[in-house]
Amino acid sequence: MSQKEQQVIQAIEDEALFTFAEYDPEAAERVGYSDYSYWGSTLKIFLKNKTAIFLLALMASLILFTTIQPYLPNQKSPTKIHVDPATGHPLRNQKPSNEYWFGTNVIGQDLWARIWSGTRTSLLIAIIVGIWEVGFGIFIGAVWGYVRQIDAFMTEAYNVINNVPTTILLMLLAYILRPSFRTMVIAMCATGWLGMARFVRNQIVIIRDREYNLASRCLGTPTSRIITKNLLPYLVSVIVMRIALSIPGTIGWEVFLTYIGLGLPIDTPSLGNLLNEGRQVMMAPALRYQLVFPAVVLSVITISFYVLGNAFADASDPRNHY
Amino acid sequence: MTQNEREVIIEIKNLRVEFKGKGRKPFRAVDDVSFEIYKGETFGLVGETGSGKTTIGRAIVRINPTAAGEILFKGRRINGVIPKELDREVTRKIQMIFQDPMASLNERSKVDYIVSEGLYNIKGFKDEQDRMAKVSRALLEVGLLPEFASRFPHEFSGGQRQRIGVARALIMEPEFIIADEPISSLDVSIRAQVLNLLSDLQKTKGLTYLFISHDLSVVRFIADRIGVIHKGRLVELAETEELFGRPFHPYTRALLSAIPIPDPQIEKKKKVLVYDPTCHDYSKDKPKWVEITPGHFVLANEEELRQYEAMAG
Repeated sequence: MSQKEQQVIQAIEDEALFTFAEYDPEAAERVGYSDYSYWGSTLKIFLKNKTAIFLLALMASLILFTTIQPYLPNQKSPTKIHVDPATGHPLRNQKPSNEYWFGTNVIGQDLWARIWSGTRTSLLIAIIVGIWEVGFGIFIGAVWGYVRQIDAFMTEAYNVINNVPTTILLMLLAYILRPSFRTMVIAMCATGWLGMARFVRNQIVIIRDREYNLASRCLGTPTSRIITKNLLPYLVSVIVMRIALSIPGTIGWEVFLTYIGLGLPIDTPSLGNLLNEGRQVMMAPALRYQLVFPAVVLSVITISFYVLGNAFADASDPRNHY
Repeated sequence: MTQNEREVIIEIKNLRVEFKGKGRKPFRAVDDVSFEIYKGETFGLVGETGSGKTTIGRAIVRINPTAAGEILFKGRRINGVIPKELDREVTRKIQMIFQDPMASLNERSKVDYIVSEGLYNIKGFKDEQDRMAKVSRALLEVGLLPEFASRFPHEFSGGQRQRIGVARALIMEPEFIIADEPISSLDVSIRAQVLNLLSDLQKTKGLTYLFISHDLSVVRFIADRIGVIHKGRLVELAETEELFGRPFHPYTRALLSAIPIPDPQIEKKKKVLVYDPTCHDYSKDKPKWVEITPGHFVLANEEELRQYEAMAG
């Protein structure tokens, strides 16, 4: 035995340096405590994403601005045709100026006022349809996915409904009901929930037979509570992502329907109407601003919601928590 | 001890469980299985993977529907359609402990909710305070601290999680617990922790266990009687030491020969038997479930029975 080892052994035996710890079974149970909360961590991760914060602020201020814009001073009516007091002719296709910030359109309406009015209409449609998709789509999807007995029937019903092309259904509805804000909402609510329902159903089928759900069944937990407590909390991240994507999606549909002439009436400005009007004068380089302004607003909204949805889905995924 | 005088808590008669595949004929996971579980005992069910042992457990808690046969709890049938009253009683009195503590707890709920989930279902508490007290008591009973109630499952070790699962079952004040391989996905170092907890609880609360496992040495440690299951059929059933001392069925013998012995000298010389199902000729003479010596049942036909009786002496 070397001298060094002997020194070490002596040091260990020296009671002044080492004392026996008392065994405490309770202390053995105490594991590293972490003050984890799901939503707290989600928020923390989300706040780390600077782009998402910026876009969230941008969207919040956009929604706020479109709501209060008509009540600000010096705002023009979105539908009033402005007339040149000297000649009595309408002020058609005025370039952006101090008076008309975004210029006027082909019949002399103020484009600035129209764009915010249109954004308000389109966002409102998108939000109403989005809420409906979430509520109805998740409800149907959850029941469809969890209750085995109705799975076959629901799948067939889904196939039948889904096989009717959405475009045709929307066109038909737009013909039957006169084009209006309400028609638009009804038409898109009628089709929008399908995708959400199938999506939720597939997710639930994946996790419904995990052991913790069997355990809940052994304890006699009713189906409704299994769905709300065991299944949906696992799907929060993917559902939020779908919601965020559904808003630009709905706006896209609105633009498309207006484009094929089945959208909102001309006297209700919407992003679809504005893009459609802008498209008609697209070939004249001097008038292209009438397409560019609504297109920029639409693009910003679409991209923002898309990025926000992704950022939130990442943040609410517990695999990214630490 | 005479078997007939003991109170039977669970009786399984000619149980058959089938799973429907697409187009093919249904797969028979459990076929013509009959046995009884006495009050206060631990009944071990052993068999290889896919032999149907878990399916039997799940049929008793009514997760898997039965195709034929009867399951009786204290003399009343509990499979198939049963009255609501009985359903509520059975949900309370029969509980299950699951194999994988990582998968059997809801990761998005706090321990508080997980443990009291059953209480919510049977409305088994007076007020919030009463519920908290019951949760604390259940946690203490399994050796956890009451303050753990406000944490999430992922903050615990495997053994602790499994004990949360036990607490969740205990809070219902069950009489019969099905432990479906409760320790096979735990580290060897913490298996004893859970096994000892289960035996302690049995002593203090007079519980009855159905202990499902593929690990014979564990079953020998904990079970009073053992049933050996192979491909959905029970092949042998006896009291633990009787089964280990005098196995009749070739499958049981093969299983017992495969138990590792912690002695390299013996292990080296040990001959592992391989079970060959073709050693049975059941083409003419169908096998029957026979009580060969008191309390010792075996699946055999006439000819095999004569052999086994000769072995029994």
